[in-house]
Amino acid sequence: MPKSHKKSTKDSWFELDLSATVYPTLQRRSFSSVYRISALLKEKVKPDLLQKALEMTLPRFPTFKVALRKGIFWRYLEPNNRPGPWVEQDIINPCMPMPFHANNHYLIRVYYYENRISLEVFHSLSDGTGALYLLRTLIAVYLRLQGYTIPNQNGVLDINQPPDPEELEDAYKRYATSKVRPPRKQEKAYRLHGTLEPFYTLNIICGIISVDTLLNVAKKYKVTITEYLNSVLIYALIQQQKSENHRKERPIKIAMPVSLRRFFPSKTLRNFITMVYPTIDPRLGDYTFEEIVTQVHYYMRYHINGKFLNADITTNAMTKSHPVIRIVPLFIKDLTVRSFYKRVQDLQSSAGLTNLGTIDIPEEMREHLIRFDVLMGQPFSPRTNCAIASLGNILTINFASSIVETSVEKFFFTKLVRDGVPVKIETNRNN
Amino acid sequence: MSYCVNCGVELDNTAHSCPLCHTEINNPKQPIDLTSPTPYPRKKGELEVLKKRDSAIVTSVVLGSTALSCGLLNLFVFQNGRWSLYIIGACLLLWIFCIPILIYSKLPIFISIFLDGIAAAMYCGIIAYQYPGKGWYQNLAIPIILLTTILIEIFAIYLKMFKNSILSRACLFFAEVAVLCSGIEIFIDLYIKHNVSLSWSAVVLTCCSIIVVTLTTIIKQTRLRNEVRRRAHF
Repeated sequence: MPKSHKKSTKDSWFELDLSATVYPTLQRRSFSSVYRISALLKEKVKPDLLQKALEMTLPRFPTFKVALRKGIFWRYLEPNNRPGPWVEQDIINPCMPMPFHANNHYLIRVYYYENRISLEVFHSLSDGTGALYLLRTLIAVYLRLQGYTIPNQNGVLDINQPPDPEELEDAYKRYATSKVRPPRKQEKAYRLHGTLEPFYTLNIICGIISVDTLLNVAKKYKVTITEYLNSVLIYALIQQQKSENHRKERPIKIAMPVSLRRFFPSKTLRNFITMVYPTIDPRLGDYTFEEIVTQVHYYMRYHINGKFLNADITTNAMTKSHPVIRIVPLFIKDLTVRSFYKRVQDLQSSAGLTNLGTIDIPEEMREHLIRFDVLMGQPFSPRTNCAIASLGNILTINFASSIVETSVEKFFFTKLVRDGVPVKIETNRNN
Repeated sequence: MSYCVNCGVELDNTAHSCPLCHTEINNPKQPIDLTSPTPYPRKKGELEVLKKRDSAIVTSVVLGSTALSCGLLNLFVFQNGRWSLYIIGACLLLWIFCIPILIYSKLPIFISIFLDGIAAAMYCGIIAYQYPGKGWYQNLAIPIILLTTILIEIFAIYLKMFKNSILSRACLFFAEVAVLCSGIEIFIDLYIKHNVSLSWSAVVLTCCSIIVVTLTTIIKQTRLRNEVRRRAHF
């Protein structure tokens, strides 16, 4: 049994996992490591029932009912038994940074607005897959409180059962075993330039699409939906870079998180992701859309497999377990990590794209839900982030950015329209 | 349902214009729905800033009460000398140092450095009030504090206002160290001997000059800069 299992069952504290270590260091006014998953229901949300459902659900998820603490060498999570968190009326600027001492030290927020329930999670607690379990279970409990029968299956966990120790494990420790550690340094990527919005503004443009139509178009190019949408985003960024008339063009790189659960079986509800960077270098010449699709397709096939991903997480795991790094005091680690992220990591991608894929829910829940939305928080640089999720035949693509201009989103959605994919647009911008 | 004539995307019934290209919607068959709720709320969220406010209150109370209680002790209990002035001055000094961190974080760094300089001068003034000496405050303390403040201000202006690299920052840092050391020795010489003869600061000046010239050469020569970057990477 891994070390973290023993700790968690004693209900004492949790070490931060490999990905989680970075986020508290980076969190500041201009950078948010908070993401949001929303579910759009068919009926208006009743806040009192939602609060009751949250109180019933959260104890089943001990890694979400925590507060972040500072140690001498590392931060850690400890159980939080303070009152809360409380459900709140939704706001126009989601994914705000999460001060660790506010909100009774909770690192999650639950919002409601009309038919929508939104869960915001600080990334140190969990990745999208883990948070999705909490949201699905919360909605199932909320619907049960209204008298509906929802079974504990397809992503809904039984709130009367104690958590499986594997749900709380740091799965990186179990699987980071590769003998090869590929270098991490990459070339600087093209970065979007735009007019920064006032403080804490997060502009959302949501495209709603039929999965069947999108699948047909992706099939025409002989690729998956993720590969196709990645290619469209790269295409949009190439157009954007061209329109800015740079003397020196840079490669277009998409930072795409990949859930490792598909390759390394684990029930963990904590972070278990790594990043891949599909890239097109416009300096090599003008790429047609078909060429971009082919390049992205082969990049994905080459890099997204157990062996490559294992080597990648081993590189990261070795950094954390290095004896010298371990004994360096936390404030020095903070300075170093922050500087590395701002000077190296953040410059390595032109945009982010995350795809939660087809979200599985019990059949009985399906009749109460319309769709899911995912949103990524505000990054350091003024770029746009794209998050995708689908439920049944409805797929949503949410662009979140802190700049005024919408040119990348326009290039992206108009390309979809030209490819024969009808898109419905919703936004939180004042228009 | 309305579509953008420019982008071809379907728009929400409550939208007034296309979010992608800002083209106004003008659909006689489907007027803008002003009664239904918009897809997103209009309420803006504000961050809870408990920690800083609490820390500011605690810091101000601790420093204030320390200064007050020491003043009262000096007045009524331990009346030998004006020792409490040192503690009151130190509390005020710390409080001024804390202003940009805890109390008013929007204060421009230039003003906070200027205030810090004044606070340091004030504290030296308190010591000078107790031990006037031979005019050390006017002739030695004030010029050194003034020079240090000016040099820190220059460094801050360079960091904030100009595009800079690690090498150029290091270059300015060593240049300022040389100026500061020379300045300190000049002020001490003028105060004690009434003439200037550099000794230890000349060594610092020489070392710093070599470093500054080397760094400037590296900055100016792209090939050399790349070579140093390659060999010194970590």
